[in-house]
Amino acid sequence: MAFLEVRNLTKDFGGIVANNDVSFSIEEGEIVGLIGPNGAGKTTLFNCIVGYYRPDGGRVIFRGRDITGWKPFQTAREGIGRTFQLMRAAGELTALEHVMVGAFLHQEDRVEAEKEAREVLAFMGLEGVADLYLTELPLAIQKQVGLARALAIKPVLLMLDEVASGLNPTETEEMVKLLKRIHREKGITLFLIEHVMEVVMPISERVIVLDGGMKIAEGPPEEIAHDEKVIKAYLGEKYARGL
Amino acid sequence: MGAIREAFDFSDFPLVERIGFGIFCLFLLAFPWLGMDSFGMAVMIQFLLFSLFGMGWNTIGGYGGQVELGKAQYVGIGAYTVAVLMVRWDIPYWFSMPLGVLIALGYSFLIGYPLFRLKGHYFAIATIATSLVLQDIFINWNFVGAAKGIELPIKGNTFLYMQFTNDTYYYYFILAYFLAGVLYMNWFRKSKLGYQLRMIKIDEEAAESLGIDARWCKIKAYAIASAFVAVGGSFIAVYNLYIDPESVMHLELSIMIALMAMLGGAASLWGPIIGAAILVPLDRYLGSWLGGHKELMGVDFMIYAAIIMFIAAFEPRGIWGIVERYRGRRT
Amino acid sequence: MVLADAFIQGILMGFLFALISLGLTIIFGVMDIVNFAHGEFLMLGMYTAYCLSISLGVDPLVTLPLCGAVGALLGLVSYYGLVRYLLRGPMVAQLLGTFGLMLFLRYLAVFLWGIDYRMIKKGLLVGKSLTIGPFHLDMTKVVCALLSLVAFTVVSWIIFKTRVGKALRATSINREAASYMGIKTERMNALAWAMGGITVGIAGGLLANFYYIYPMVGLLFVMIAFATVALGGFGSIKGAFFAGILIGILETVFPIIGHLLKTSIIGPHYKMTIVYLAYFLVVVFRPRGLFGWEQ
Repeated sequence: MAFLEVRNLTKDFGGIVANNDVSFSIEEGEIVGLIGPNGAGKTTLFNCIVGYYRPDGGRVIFRGRDITGWKPFQTAREGIGRTFQLMRAAGELTALEHVMVGAFLHQEDRVEAEKEAREVLAFMGLEGVADLYLTELPLAIQKQVGLARALAIKPVLLMLDEVASGLNPTETEEMVKLLKRIHREKGITLFLIEHVMEVVMPISERVIVLDGGMKIAEGPPEEIAHDEKVIKAYLGEKYARGL
Repeated sequence: MGAIREAFDFSDFPLVERIGFGIFCLFLLAFPWLGMDSFGMAVMIQFLLFSLFGMGWNTIGGYGGQVELGKAQYVGIGAYTVAVLMVRWDIPYWFSMPLGVLIALGYSFLIGYPLFRLKGHYFAIATIATSLVLQDIFINWNFVGAAKGIELPIKGNTFLYMQFTNDTYYYYFILAYFLAGVLYMNWFRKSKLGYQLRMIKIDEEAAESLGIDARWCKIKAYAIASAFVAVGGSFIAVYNLYIDPESVMHLELSIMIALMAMLGGAASLWGPIIGAAILVPLDRYLGSWLGGHKELMGVDFMIYAAIIMFIAAFEPRGIWGIVERYRGRRT
Repeated sequence: MVLADAFIQGILMGFLFALISLGLTIIFGVMDIVNFAHGEFLMLGMYTAYCLSISLGVDPLVTLPLCGAVGALLGLVSYYGLVRYLLRGPMVAQLLGTFGLMLFLRYLAVFLWGIDYRMIKKGLLVGKSLTIGPFHLDMTKVVCALLSLVAFTVVSWIIFKTRVGKALRATSINREAASYMGIKTERMNALAWAMGGITVGIAGGLLANFYYIYPMVGLLFVMIAFATVALGGFGSIKGAFFAGILIGILETVFPIIGHLLKTSIIGPHYKMTIVYLAYFLVVVFRPRGLFGWEQ
C-alpha cells in the first residue's frame, strides 16, 4: 500500500481544467519532486491534496485512508505538514510563538509547547531568532521559520511549496541541506513542488512532471532531465516567452 | 492549577508595567475612600464596566482580529435575563446571572456557527444585522416590556439580589468582575486558544495548515466574548434598576465596546482598560457639560467619531500599539 | 388586490433602494471598501433638499443637481481626507474608519439641525398621486423610479462604454496591473467615491420628497443598501438594480402578508428585521449574491 496515493485526480474551475486525471503515488521515506512550467496545475494539485480545494473527480488516499475533500486542518491533523511560498509576516507573533502554535496541535500546556518549539528551533539552528518577530527577519529565515512551524505539528509527510522561491543560490543551498537533514534525521517523507528544475533535481529521488494539468512524465531525475516531453514542455514555455 | 498559575503570572511584562498595574489596583481598591462625589463614583463604575466589555471584545476582536460590531445584543441578553426573572418570578441575581451567561453562550454558538462562515466586511455587517434583529424582537416583545423597557423591583440592601442603596457596594461588585476579567484575560492571552487566534488573524490559511480549525476557534472566542459581555449586562440590570432595548441593545453600545478596545490597543491586555479610561470619563464629563449647552448637542459623538477616524487612519493598533512599538514586544 | 398594490408599491420603493445601493456597490467594486457612511451621505442629501427648498422656496425637485453636487463633494472629501489613509492599514482600520465617518456625519447633522423629524410639505409632486386603473401611485415615487432608471443607465454607460469606465473596471479587476498600464488608480478611487456620492445624494434628494428627514435616517437605509448589495453580489451594478427591486417588494409585501394572515408576529414593526435577516441569510448561504455573475 502506498503512503500517499493520488488516483485520477481532476479539478476544473468553471470549464478551465487545472488538473486532468492525475495519478501517482509516493512511498514512505521518499523525497519526491513535482515540477512543471507555469500554469501546469502544480499548486492546484497541491491544494487538492491538502484540502484547500475539493477535487471534482478522483481520490486522495493517505496511509490507507481516503482523505479526499478533507479540510486543511483535518489533513494537517492526519500528519500532512506544509509550507507556503510566502510567509505572511506580521508583528504579532515571534518566531518561537509561530512554532509554538504548531506544537499546540498535540499539546495543551503552554510550557510544554514552548519546550517543544525550542527543540524544533534548535534542530534547525534558529535559536538565535526565537524572540524576534517575523517582520524583523530576512525572507530566507522567515521561510525557515515556516518550515519549523510545519515540523512542530510532527508531520509524517511534508509538502513544500516552492521552498526556494525568492532565495539566492547560497540560501537555496542551505535550504536543500536542511531538507536533507529533516529527511534523514526525522524520517519525514518530502514532497516538493518547484518551478525551477535546478532545485528539485539534486534532492529528489523521483520526479513527477505536470504540463497542462496532466502528468507527462515520472522517473528518476537523470531520466527526467533527458525526457523529450519534459524538455519540450519547458522549451515551449521559453519559446512562448520569446527567449 | 496550571491555569490559575498562568492567570496570576504577569512576569512577561516589563517591571515598570507590573508596578504600574499594582499601583493602579491599589488605587482602585482605595478609590471609595478618596472622597469623590457620587458623579465621580458613577464614572468609575462605568469605567470598570466598559473595561470588562472591552476585554471581552478583545478575545474575538483583538486577538482573533474579527471586526465584531454586535456585542450589544449580549449586553441585552445578560441584562434582560436578570431583570425579567427578578420581575416575573422573584429569582435572585446569583441564579439569573449564570443563566443569562448560559443563554448568551447558547445564543452565541447558535448564531456564531453561520456567522463565522463569513469574513471581513460581510462578517462585520452581519454582526450588526443580528444585533439589530434581536433589538427589534425585544422592542416588540411584550413579555419583556417591549419598547417601554422593564423596571426592577426595589429590594433594598441585599446580596442575594445584588441591590444596594449605596454605590460603594456596586463599585466593589463591578471591581471584582473587573479583576476577575483581567486575570482571565491574562490567562487567555497565553492559552492555546489565544495563540491560535493570533495565528488565524495573521494568516488563516497557515493556521489551518497547522491543524487549527479556524472557524471553531473563532466561534469559541466569540462565545467567550459574549459571556464576558453578558456578565456586564447583568450588572447593568441591578445597577440601573431599569433597562430598555434602547439603553442596553443599541448599536452605539456595540460601537463603543469595540472602540474602547481599538482605541486603547486591541490584542493587548492593557488596551481595553486604557481605552475605557480615556473614553468613559470623556463621555461622562463631556456629556454633563454639554447637558447645559443644548445648542452643542451631538458634539460629543462628533469628537468620538473624529477619534475613531484618526486612530483608524494613523494608528490602527491603538494607544498601546505606540508603546509596544517602542518597547519592541507585544503582550 | 391589497397584495398586488403592495407589490407595485414595493417595486417603486425598490427602484429607490437600487439607486441608494448603486454608489455603495461602485465604491466596493473599485476598491473593496465598504462605506459605512453611505447612509449618512443619503441623509445629508435629504437635508440638502430640505434646506434649499425651504430657504430658497423652490421646489425640492429643482434641488436635485445640488444634492448630487453635495454628495460628490462629500465623496471626494471623504476619500482625500480619510479613506486614502485607511487604505494603508489593515481591514479592521478600513471598517472602523468609515464607521467613524458615519458617526461623525450623523452627529454633525444632530448638531446642525437637531433630532427633530422634518418633512417637506410643499412641492410640485408632494402629495400628488397617479391613478392607473385601480392603483394609486405616489407621483414622487414614480418620478423617483424613473430617475433611478436614468441614473442606472448613465452609470452603466459610463462604466461599460467610456474610456474612464474602462480604466475604472481595470482598476477594480487588478489595481497593480492597472497602474502599470498608466492608469492613475488613486484618481480612479476618487472618481468612484464621487460617483457614489452623486448617486446617493440624488437618491437623498428624491427620498426627501416623501420620507421623514432626521439624523438617524441613514442607518435604516444603509442596512437596506447592505442587504441589497449583498443580495446582488458585492460590486455588481446589475445585481444592485435587481436586488434593490427584490428588497423593495420584500419590504412592502411582507407586512401585508401578516395582515392577511391576521397574525401580529408578521407585521410592519418587523419590516426591518426581515431586511436584516435577508442580508444574513444571503451572505451566509450564498455569499456571491443571488445573481452572482460578477466575481
